[in-house]
Amino acid sequence: MFKVSNATGGYGKTIIIHDVSLNVREGEIVALLGRNGVGKSTLMKYMTAIIPAKKGKVEIAGCPAPNTTFGRARAGLGYVPQGRFVFPRMSVTENIAVAAATNGKNATMAVEEALEEFPLLRPKATALAGGLSGGQQQVLALARALAADPCILLLDEPTEGVQPSIIDEIAGTLLRINKERGISMLVAEQDLDFCLSIAERAYVMERGTIRLETDRENLRKDKALQQELLGV
Amino acid sequence: MDYFATVLISSLSSASILLIATLGLAVVFGLMGVINLAHGEFIMMGAYSALTATQLGIPFILAIPVAVLVTMIFGALVEIIIIRRLYGRLFDTMLATWGLSLALYQGAVLIFGSVSPGIGMPQINFNVGDYTLAAYPIFMILVAVVMLAGIYVLLTRTVYGMKARAAIQVPDMARAIGIDSARTNTLTFAIGCGLAGFAGAILLPIVPATPSMGFAFVIKAFLTVVIAGPVTLAGSALAAIGVGTGASIVASFMTSVAGDLFFFILTVVLLRLYPLGVSAKWRMKL
Repeated sequence: MFKVSNATGGYGKTIIIHDVSLNVREGEIVALLGRNGVGKSTLMKYMTAIIPAKKGKVEIAGCPAPNTTFGRARAGLGYVPQGRFVFPRMSVTENIAVAAATNGKNATMAVEEALEEFPLLRPKATALAGGLSGGQQQVLALARALAADPCILLLDEPTEGVQPSIIDEIAGTLLRINKERGISMLVAEQDLDFCLSIAERAYVMERGTIRLETDRENLRKDKALQQELLGV
Repeated sequence: MDYFATVLISSLSSASILLIATLGLAVVFGLMGVINLAHGEFIMMGAYSALTATQLGIPFILAIPVAVLVTMIFGALVEIIIIRRLYGRLFDTMLATWGLSLALYQGAVLIFGSVSPGIGMPQINFNVGDYTLAAYPIFMILVAVVMLAGIYVLLTRTVYGMKARAAIQVPDMARAIGIDSARTNTLTFAIGCGLAGFAGAILLPIVPATPSMGFAFVIKAFLTVVIAGPVTLAGSALAAIGVGTGASIVASFMTSVAGDLFFFILTVVLLRLYPLGVSAKWRMKL
């Protein structure tokens, strides 16, 4: 469904990720775990072609991914970046509408659906996105990515800087969207509980490579690995 | 009283002329952050395009869209050939567009000579008490309002407008939701240039086309956009009306030099008070 093979890349001449291969199956939620600085965000930027590839291939829905970021987005790759990066001087409605309209969807309907899905955005619909709280921006970034109708969604640290009540809500929403719309997801996270609550399978990264692949049960049992990931 | 009314109306008209000449830059510099030192030369190109079109027998009203089209196409080429490679490189952009400005100025001198015939202003006048005012400059107030509203609607109510602002505000994320930022930016830059061309054309009856006409506009246009700050459109309108009208009133009671002096002093004062522009704290889109 979504496949990355031998991904190698970084910023300028500095290579951050080496020979990373992973895949996400149809309708699956997969976690990408690892401590700060192991290359999770860089890998996601590689996948979206925001940073150039030195080596490797990306496949979306069985087809080789286009080389451009916007081409991959149109091929069905959704991205919720770390730090949200909503369009600050556009309203909440516009943030959603522009994503829908760009992908040939009816913007008005997409906005209504999104406000239905994320009720906490409704009172803020006409507010500028730059003025929202961190949690609200996170939800908006998710709503924006969904408005583009992706088949695979990359989420980079969706819980970072978000208050606990909204974290639970995000987890619930991701699970629901995954079930109802069949969207596959790859979630880069440091919050182990959050990952255990939504992902069936996980990759653990270390120094720019995948160290191991594991599933929820093994991750729950493996206290040593948990300790290590939590950095205690 | 009548005298004061005429001064006020004609000062508003001068401010509107400033605003008309500024709006293209508000898009290119205010919105996109590209310091286009050739903005004045795009106005000049618009003026000459309209002038040439009228000399070929096209009525003035139709010569205006011709000028817009010419400057838009030229603007798109400039973006693709020069500007695109220099986003985020402030000084390189300044150098490149300054060079472009010199080349366009000299090009105009070679093609059109240093003086050229104006086109007559429509001879419609109206009276305020004992005073007579020419209608065309007053009409510019309406043109400025329509232009401002048009740009606002284009950038906020259309899909293109939303894409353009998204691509400018967070380019990587715009691409990540499927927007072809490069193409959108080319179009936005071209529209900014087209607005400059429109300014040159519509102002042609008031400001005759000369190769050096750009210099007269570009400094005040830049200062207006800098005073405006991040909320580009509304800020530029306020700055042009405030500073422009003030300077023009001073000029009509004293001399035009005093008017310019007032303009620059007020700019310095405003930038001391609002280093990030008057709109730095406004919660508005444009």
